[in-house]
Amino acid sequence: MDSPKGKAALGVAYQIPRNTLALLMIAQVVVIVPYLLHLSPWLIAVGLFSGYWRTRVYQGVWDYPGRWVKAVLVVASIAAVVLSGIEGFSLEAVSSLLIIAFALKLIEMKNRRDAYLVIFLSYFVIAIQFLFDQSILMALYELVAIVVVTAAMVGLNQLHTQVRPLVSLKLAGALVVQALPFTIVVFLLFPRIAPLWSVPLPNSSTTGISDELTPGDIASLTQSDEPAFRVIFDGERPPPSELYWRGLVYSEFDQGTWRVGPRLLPQAPRVSLEDGLRYAVLLEPTFSNWLFALDLAEPGTNSVRPTRDFRLEASEPVLSVFRYEVRSDPRGLLDPGVLPEFIRIRETAIDPTSNPRLTEFARSLWQQTGSVVAFTEAVFRAIRQEEYFYTLQPPTYTGAGTIDQFWFDGRAGFCTHYAGALVYMLRVAGIPARMVGGYQGGELNPITGHLIIRQYDAHAWAEVWQPETGWQRLDPTAAVAPARIEQGLSAALSAADRASLSIFSNARIGDWAIAGSLLELIDSVELRWNLWVVGFDGNVQSGLLKSLLGELTPARVGMAMLGGGGLSLIVVLIVLFWRRRTLPRHPVELAFSRFAARLAAQGYPRRPEESPSGFVTRIASQVGLSDAQVGGVIAELDTLLYNPSVAWGNAELKQLKRQLRRLQFRLAFGATR
Amino acid sequence: MSSVDGRTFPERIIGSRFSAWLDKRVPPSPQITLSQRNIFIFPTRTGFVFSGLLLLLILGAVNYQASLVYAVAFLLGSLFLVTILYTFQNLSGLQLELVNARPGFVGEDLEFTVRVVRPQGKSREGIQLGWPSGIMQWAELLDKEADTVRLYVEAQRRGYQDPGRLLVETYFPLGLLRAWTWVDLNARALVYPKPVFQDFPISQQGPRDEGQLIDPFGSEDFRDIREYRPGDPTKHIIWRSYARSDELMVKQYASFVEPRLWLNLDDVSGGIEEKLSRMTGMALKATRQDREFGLKLGNLKLSPGLGDAHLETVMRELALYGFTER
Repeated sequence: MDSPKGKAALGVAYQIPRNTLALLMIAQVVVIVPYLLHLSPWLIAVGLFSGYWRTRVYQGVWDYPGRWVKAVLVVASIAAVVLSGIEGFSLEAVSSLLIIAFALKLIEMKNRRDAYLVIFLSYFVIAIQFLFDQSILMALYELVAIVVVTAAMVGLNQLHTQVRPLVSLKLAGALVVQALPFTIVVFLLFPRIAPLWSVPLPNSSTTGISDELTPGDIASLTQSDEPAFRVIFDGERPPPSELYWRGLVYSEFDQGTWRVGPRLLPQAPRVSLEDGLRYAVLLEPTFSNWLFALDLAEPGTNSVRPTRDFRLEASEPVLSVFRYEVRSDPRGLLDPGVLPEFIRIRETAIDPTSNPRLTEFARSLWQQTGSVVAFTEAVFRAIRQEEYFYTLQPPTYTGAGTIDQFWFDGRAGFCTHYAGALVYMLRVAGIPARMVGGYQGGELNPITGHLIIRQYDAHAWAEVWQPETGWQRLDPTAAVAPARIEQGLSAALSAADRASLSIFSNARIGDWAIAGSLLELIDSVELRWNLWVVGFDGNVQSGLLKSLLGELTPARVGMAMLGGGGLSLIVVLIVLFWRRRTLPRHPVELAFSRFAARLAAQGYPRRPEESPSGFVTRIASQVGLSDAQVGGVIAELDTLLYNPSVAWGNAELKQLKRQLRRLQFRLAFGATR
Repeated sequence: MSSVDGRTFPERIIGSRFSAWLDKRVPPSPQITLSQRNIFIFPTRTGFVFSGLLLLLILGAVNYQASLVYAVAFLLGSLFLVTILYTFQNLSGLQLELVNARPGFVGEDLEFTVRVVRPQGKSREGIQLGWPSGIMQWAELLDKEADTVRLYVEAQRRGYQDPGRLLVETYFPLGLLRAWTWVDLNARALVYPKPVFQDFPISQQGPRDEGQLIDPFGSEDFRDIREYRPGDPTKHIIWRSYARSDELMVKQYASFVEPRLWLNLDDVSGGIEEKLSRMTGMALKATRQDREFGLKLGNLKLSPGLGDAHLETVMRELALYGFTER
């Protein structure tokens, strides 16, 4: 761009060095590969094909694409994005277009400027990948990708005649490694600010529970062993059967689907919880606001607030691993005493005609029992004693009256079926009840002592309201499959169900002790990664900095930044200048400069533009010495000074000095002779 | 892209003040070692674009609250900072020395030979040298500790030509920064007048019977008298002497050419520069024909001589005629 090389290349088309081209090709593959998970394979194909095209151009087999070919390529690629079913303004659409731009630029990359553009786009594509995945493995992978892309940039600035991709890679690696300390300092100290505007989000890859719940949803979540969140307890940890992580409250039921319903105003401040459970949650991105917590929960993080239905919500959608502190009271009551009328209406609303058989059943049951406790006990007894089954593969209940079909005909279902049926029956009886979605249980990692809650721990249960107890948890799954609650999903499943889940057939490897502890080790590494890197946000930052620096003033943070940054750059300086010694002056040079000084004293100054041999030649001819008398010295001087291929030692140096002295003597008397 | 004279942003803006300041900052010297005293460093346009990319990344990180996007931005920023040290280090410690300045004729290229020596230890890459009016050349210091670079500048005018300050620059390793310096190696090369070839003027033929015998049986100058030998041209027979002494004598003639030319500024026509050009041409022609020649240049008189050293002395006088600078 700024190089005068453009000048040197006048008349000759600038060729991007082979070194750089090779590295750019590698970089392109490395950078695009992770997108295989998110983007249409067609786009990947376009990317790789353009790389191939550019290689053919380099080999001189194909030509750069003409204007029309380029236009067709652009239109075809955009059509591919549209046809691949990506929704309008999503992160996938943005990254698809970026990759197209990147791939097509690669084909027509001709000069340095184009190469730099491709390099900068590569950095961008690398960064955007982190919006999809911030795991430690991806981070390590992309670090390598950054080294490769940087190596391409190094190649652009190396001597073109020397084609050595490995050397460029090595140097780029050294640069990146030496940049890491400073990166860490800035990462720790750079102020984190709240999002400035809303951005396109990924639309495909959100696993986890959502604000709409149909019975099949949670069953499909059990196919995934991705972590949903990790919890670090500070102190007491309740048994797994008590770990009901409330996330969403579904108040509306319509045509087989539970929905959260209109938002209610946030709850008035609660009494601060003195004792109870204290824990931190590291939530994987959900791209939603809802958070997960136990029982009556009070947030300990600024950007988290409680809701009217006793859940926790983040002020911004959780786009990256989010860490929040919670204090929970398992004995705390939700809405005890009098339920506000608008909530009572909301939580008892039901269309009794949607499942007429169950409506009939619930009404007669209510007439028999007359109290909430007796009513629910009767339902639980029915589930326990009659032929009800817990399965991930229930018969499909379709059309009208899906709960009827489940309760009376199929009698086999998943947590959502049972909880749904219970809530329906309670509402028919006029009792406030609602569906709650979240996770249940969690797996203890013995290395760090944290709990990991995976997607297959997703669960749904019911809550019923009574004046004395407020909202109280009722989990019919505990009646049909007590093992699910006490030991986790795997224990509750039939052999057929287990076989249907690939994650559990894989997880059997986890039964081997070594592999099991390896998985635990990986999980504990991921926990620390999420704790200190991915989940490092403004809250965590100010907590850490307060413990390190005390009172947080801009001056202190600035000083820390300067000190830490300076230190990390000094390290680089030491590495760079460590082995440097100034070359001692060339001994021949030294001998000659003494000779020249003596001649200058005799009245024969050396002209500034004269080479040593040129100087001797001139003086010799001025004085009238013959070529035979000085030719030897001149040749010797040139050889020893400027011909590095000739080896010489002390003997040669001594002889030269002797010759110079003789010459000086001759010159002194030359004029008189 | 760089401007024609190779100067980019800072110099162009600061202009002539800059060069005065530069003379103080980096004083002329035939040998110079680069250090923080004389190395300048500034981001290139690529570097500014790179910084813009960093800002975009940070903006993305803020809006997505993605720690690792922050990390990428900070890593690239740190890379930029580390590169400052690398780019500076790439020039620092280099020794530059003018080895030779080969004279040339007006219109030809003058060759300057500059020797670049790096300190032991870390190798240097991507170093370019060049005069403002010439083409940049790479110095190769990767596997060796010294490199001699030949730089060419078009010879403009007769006399000593100063190619100006030598630009030494590097964009290594990432091209985001440019480290450079303008060193004055006291370089000057002698520029001879552009030769114009013509015949030697008549008056340059020296006085008769001086010079070299080129044809002993020529017919121009009387040389000797000797006895007739068969085959002598009859018109050379001295009939008067035959009448007196009966001996047949012949006059011998010979041709002489004056080879010791005197090149005199007053003998050639044209303006002063044209005259010097013609003189240069004649000096070259005489040397090529192996003829001794002397030089009369105003008050200066160089006795006739022959050979490369003589030619060089003559041409130097022609080149510097009218200049006080020696």
